[in-house]
Amino acid sequence: MKTIAYLFLTIFFLTACSNQFEEANTNPYEITEESLHQDFNHIGAYYPSLLGNIFGHQIEENLVAESFCDYMATPTRFVGGINNTTYYIRWNIYWDRIYGALMAPANQVIKIADGGGYTVFSSWAKLIQIMGMSRLTTYHGPVIYSNYGSSESVVKYDSEPDLYNKFFTQLDEIQAVFAANKTYVGMNKFDASYGGDVTKWQKFVNSLRLRLAIRISKAAPALAKIQGEKAIADPAGLITANSDNMTISLYGGKLYLSVICFEWDDTRMSAGMESFLVGLKDPRIGKYFQPATDDKVYNDHPAFPYKGIRNGASLVAKDDHTAFSKINESFKTITKRNYLAASEVYFDLAEASLRGWIGAGDAKTNYEKGIKASFEDWGAGGVDTYLADETSKPIDYVDPKYDGVINCFKSRSTVTVKWNEADAKELKLEKIITQKWIAGFFNPNEPWADFRRTGYPKIPTVYKNDSNSDWGVIPQGEWIKRMPFVNSERTGNVAGIADATIKLGGPDNIATRLWFAPDKANF
Amino acid sequence: MTITQSGGAIFKIVGFSFFLIAICSANLVSARTATDVHQNLSSVEKEQPNMTVKGKVTDMAGDAISGVAVSVKGTTTGTITNYYGQYSLDIPVAGKILVFSFDGMITQEEVLDARTDINVKLARKRVDNDETIATELGIQRDKKTLACSIQQVSGEEIMKSKDINFMNSLSGKIAGLEIKKSSSGVGGSTRVVLRGVKSLSQISEPLFVIDGVPIVNRKGIQPDMWGGIDEGDGLSQINADDIESISVLKSSNATVLYGSQGANGVVMITTKKGQDGKTSICFSSSTIMERVIKTPELQFSYGSEGGSNESWSYTKGNYASNYVNDFFQTGSTLINTVSVSGGNNKTTAYFSYGNTSAAGVIQNNKYQKNNVTFQQSTKLLDDKLTIRSNVMLTTEKVENRNTAGYYLNPLTGLYLFPRDKNFDLYKDNYQVFNKDRNMYLQNWFSNDQFQSNPYWIINKQPKEDLTKRVIASVTVDYDITKCLSFQARLSYDFAEKSYEQKFFAGSNPINVSGNGRWSYKKYNDEQTFSDGMFTYQNKFNNVSITGILGANYQQSNFGKGVSVDSKTIALRYPNEFYFQNLPSNVLIQSTALGKLTRMGLFGNAQIGYKEMIFLDLSGRNDWTNALSGQGNDSYFYLSAGMSLIVSRMIEFPRFVSFSKIRISNSRINNDVTYNTIAQLRAANGADGISQSAQNLFVDPKPEKLNTWEFGSSWEFFNGRLGFDLTYYNVETSNVLVSRVSPGSGYAAIYENSGKIRNKGIEFILTATPVKSSDFDWETNVNFYKNTNRVVELFSGNSYVSKDFGASEGYYPVTYSGGTIGDLYGYKFLRNASGQIILDDITGALRKTANVEYMGNLEPDFSLGWNNRFSYKRFSLNFLINAKMGGKCFSQTEAMLDGYGVSKRSADARDNGGVQINAIKGTTSVNKIDEKLYYTTVGNRNGIAEAYVFDRTNIRLSQLALSYDFSMKKLNLPIKAASFAIVGQNLFFLYKKAPFDPELTMSTDLNNQSLDNFNVPATRTFGFTIKISL
Repeated sequence: MKTIAYLFLTIFFLTACSNQFEEANTNPYEITEESLHQDFNHIGAYYPSLLGNIFGHQIEENLVAESFCDYMATPTRFVGGINNTTYYIRWNIYWDRIYGALMAPANQVIKIADGGGYTVFSSWAKLIQIMGMSRLTTYHGPVIYSNYGSSESVVKYDSEPDLYNKFFTQLDEIQAVFAANKTYVGMNKFDASYGGDVTKWQKFVNSLRLRLAIRISKAAPALAKIQGEKAIADPAGLITANSDNMTISLYGGKLYLSVICFEWDDTRMSAGMESFLVGLKDPRIGKYFQPATDDKVYNDHPAFPYKGIRNGASLVAKDDHTAFSKINESFKTITKRNYLAASEVYFDLAEASLRGWIGAGDAKTNYEKGIKASFEDWGAGGVDTYLADETSKPIDYVDPKYDGVINCFKSRSTVTVKWNEADAKELKLEKIITQKWIAGFFNPNEPWADFRRTGYPKIPTVYKNDSNSDWGVIPQGEWIKRMPFVNSERTGNVAGIADATIKLGGPDNIATRLWFAPDKANF
Repeated sequence: MTITQSGGAIFKIVGFSFFLIAICSANLVSARTATDVHQNLSSVEKEQPNMTVKGKVTDMAGDAISGVAVSVKGTTTGTITNYYGQYSLDIPVAGKILVFSFDGMITQEEVLDARTDINVKLARKRVDNDETIATELGIQRDKKTLACSIQQVSGEEIMKSKDINFMNSLSGKIAGLEIKKSSSGVGGSTRVVLRGVKSLSQISEPLFVIDGVPIVNRKGIQPDMWGGIDEGDGLSQINADDIESISVLKSSNATVLYGSQGANGVVMITTKKGQDGKTSICFSSSTIMERVIKTPELQFSYGSEGGSNESWSYTKGNYASNYVNDFFQTGSTLINTVSVSGGNNKTTAYFSYGNTSAAGVIQNNKYQKNNVTFQQSTKLLDDKLTIRSNVMLTTEKVENRNTAGYYLNPLTGLYLFPRDKNFDLYKDNYQVFNKDRNMYLQNWFSNDQFQSNPYWIINKQPKEDLTKRVIASVTVDYDITKCLSFQARLSYDFAEKSYEQKFFAGSNPINVSGNGRWSYKKYNDEQTFSDGMFTYQNKFNNVSITGILGANYQQSNFGKGVSVDSKTIALRYPNEFYFQNLPSNVLIQSTALGKLTRMGLFGNAQIGYKEMIFLDLSGRNDWTNALSGQGNDSYFYLSAGMSLIVSRMIEFPRFVSFSKIRISNSRINNDVTYNTIAQLRAANGADGISQSAQNLFVDPKPEKLNTWEFGSSWEFFNGRLGFDLTYYNVETSNVLVSRVSPGSGYAAIYENSGKIRNKGIEFILTATPVKSSDFDWETNVNFYKNTNRVVELFSGNSYVSKDFGASEGYYPVTYSGGTIGDLYGYKFLRNASGQIILDDITGALRKTANVEYMGNLEPDFSLGWNNRFSYKRFSLNFLINAKMGGKCFSQTEAMLDGYGVSKRSADARDNGGVQINAIKGTTSVNKIDEKLYYTTVGNRNGIAEAYVFDRTNIRLSQLALSYDFSMKKLNLPIKAASFAIVGQNLFFLYKKAPFDPELTMSTDLNNQSLDNFNVPATRTFGFTIKISL
């Protein structure tokens, strides 16, 4: 009988042909499309991940823009001290994040939204793509955008002029959709930035347009003026109050800058920041940074107990500079990060008024409003004293750890804070961009672009310049101009890169100026 | 090397075989005489009277063998030898030949002449000469009739190596099988690839089968350039002492009955069974020691300056060096197995208990295993029904497998430690009390992402992996008629696995939060396999027919459980490692790593004509859920093979004893990996949903393997010399590829667009150059060469590469038209005359604009040479393994150079620079500053060319000297006893690379032939005692 039981058992298994093949091939711990429809998550639940990938991490942002615009510097001798911070490119991967984690999923979200008639969501996803791509282009210049999603074997890059035109056209479309859906509440649940308030997104669209217009104001002055004036004139308005700042939530995560500084011990205040903030007696210094933990390192200005590291410094031991100023402890508990703040809008308006754009208002007013907005945003006091200071200037920098020569610099900048209507436009611009740089702390993309475009603020060069013909030579006294195209594209999209290099207008190396930052006078 | 070029190597082997023939012929006189006698007999046979013959049967050493069957050929007359090996038999008139047969011995025939006393010495049977061999589904077949290549290794042979993972002992013993052992120490996994990599999404590992039933061999996570720890595999859980033999079915033609999962060949494990009439208790005990062969070549004469992490001082000193070697200990492995087997003519049973405990060469790397195996077989209903059952129980505990890669690896800190500092301060005090936190934290000289205190890592980051496993099966055989039988099987393989690592607060902040980190997962792997089949066997005149018709059903459910890793998110309270101490933003995941349902209907027919021609036809239809919903989940395929026993068709010269030609073709389909085709949407830790931004894969197809195999076997001088030559060509089409193309609009695109071709030659030479009453020499050469070519990767797209773990300076990337294992990297930028170009201004070494081809990571060919010498009761075995050609990459050496701790960086300092043929501007440079040189060439992402080494290595991989005690003389209640001294991986006869390229960082597809602070290779040596009661 036992035998027969075994036989039956076997036959049972043989005949138990499952009809639920498909179900078996699905991971039960992934969310099904059907389930996702509840609460409209099928359209909205992707946005945190899209927005969360706009900013980069250490090797995408900190060792690129954040170092090149002289916000933070490193005490660590990465790769024997020869690395991005000394102009020898080791890491160049922001591209991968933008295309892999933002562009591709956003495209899928756009399809879902379009398919379901969710036009506001579709526009929102497109706007997020512009938010990411308008940053990425400041790294490389030409990028893949209009041809994105092409099945062609050679995917061609957009030239910068084409790219900005495309951005502006898309912003028109997005703004039109937002304007027609001002009271739409569908985004509420999913929007950690503005709680789904479409009118605030409208202000952001205008402010982003203004940012891009200012960015191309030297390269394409006529287009910039049209777009800038359009942004200013749009009835939805601009971000003019900190409560309207475009912020991106960290969605429960930690701020990368905080991780790198506190947990990895790989960043400290830059010497450039020390030179300007200490020199200009800027009260925001205490909001941005912690005092150095060794009081001997700031002997040259004991009233301001902060110390920075020269970018591209010559370093021996990491411990030499770890007692220097970290970022402020408050960054450990920060929950969101500015993408575009009111202060930047005011500084853009100030520059716009120098450039004679209609509706930009008075340069001085905007300049001062920008500084005030920044002080308010950071909770710093003493703004009136600061605005009235016409004597304090950026200081020279001394690296107390070495011989008094290594890593030291004399400040190139003699800028002061107080606005002087009698100043030349060039000096006014220097003041505006210097203040925009200070206000923009820890959001380094636009400040690095501004520096390449205007030459301001007059930050020091890197101390140690390891650039060579591998990635392009940056002459002494000069600064890095861009990031090379990424290796995967150089080897995987050879024809595309050849075409992109023509559009770039120079060799694919770090010394080629980007289109938005031409080598010509600011006015 | 192409196939044509390899002809040279083959020619050399053929030449060698002729040399052996010459040696053999000297010993062949006796055999020839016997044949001559046989041929002269026909004339006298009628005169032969009815008579009684008696005699004694012994083994080659002269010990009596009891139970030998003695029969008169062609009759039913027979007897067996008694305890003293003696027999006596009345011979009928028609009797011409006496046959002596005994399990495990070569059957011997003696021609009946006028002798009445016939004493016989039986020789031990060599596995290669086995007449039958376990083939697919456990079916025993006459080896000579097979249409494709199968190679068998005896359990005895496997036991010689005494490796915890029995697969490691097959290296060099099977042509076509590439085995790499993980560098993760005791309890590590093994990489097994048969006949080349045939898929890009699956690891091309053969199916492992115990007594006809597939078992699970799922690998866990593998390390990469950045770190990680091997999570082992399923093979180490099998008790090697239970293995009777292993046969490797190389061609998918041989495995078509297993369906898709047999597409990469099958490793067929036959376990020991109880023997009828003989109750025996067997005890075996092994003690094996393990030592690191060689650490990298380091310098201890130049220290650091100014507190730097690098030792780039130019001032010579004399610093302590012993701490590096002191870090490694002598490992040990103790394996004890006791087995009991016996039975009667109705029921046999086998029971074994095995215990393994081991300690690795790095402190705290420990291994514990308990195996219990029970097997029984019972015959019922007039022996028509046989019920067999088999239960294997295993518990396995592995602590702290070795790491590889940059992160949390004790070897980075150990090797890179600045020479002028005192290591002992950190060794003895790897933790110090921190007043601010009122707790002990790590004590190390620097906060560096790549290094931590080695003693902190091995003591304060404990990892424990536990497996509890049961493999149970029951088989029912029923002989319906004399010709028709039915077999049904059911097996269940269940493993509960848990992996836990606790990282104490104070561990490297790149990977661990200030309050520590807890990484834990626990899941089950479960597989049910059942099949049923009818076997029909008959013979009509000259035609023999064997037919099989069957069906199977298999369901696997892998990785169902829970997983959590707090990484750098702070635990609520330091150093408490359990769920309630996790903060809310740590994602706790339910896991399901694979759920597969496969069904198959299959048939096989083998038709033989006059024992000369055999035709083998198989067909199978598969249904698989991995391709469900798209209309491709059911697919049918066929295979056909033919073998011609030429020696039965053509009269060859007498020295040719056997000759066969075989040809086969199979077209097997392989499903894709679980859940590939579905759109993945998972809740992430950031209040949202992450979606895999891949294209919707609407038309997935099974991968198709088209295998052609041609082979020929020859035996000469009554099997004293033989060879087997196989050529195969496996073409996989519809290869599943995922490509990354930023412009495409997708993060990844899946296509069935690839085509991979593997073709190769396997040459097996077996010879018994010397065979005499006291002294035997058996030798065996396995040559294997595979040529892989990725004919096509993607259709119509310029992103034509597949990356196998590219990171830092190491770019294993395959392009359309390339080969899997192609290695790219930056080279020195050189001018037309070969001079290295230095930067005009800085004088730094320049590198090429893009990565360039540097060679292939797979060897050109492999050679295993196995030898057995036996003299009376002594036997000596040695195995030489050679991997010829290919490249390997050492990121370790690049780092050691960059940090100025390599011996060559000190030699260069002694010599005042590095000799170089370079040019700066227009000035030739023949010497360059060593620091400038090694810091630009070495470290990370330097010039990879300098760290690519020849993979060629030849080693003495096994040596065993054993002695069989003659128990008869000792008059003890012991049947047999033997003692053996065994050694593995004893030394290299040739090796150029600074590490052992056969010891792999990863046992999956990626990161091959890469060394990044892997634990160095070890040699083992020890002894084994075996006693049978």
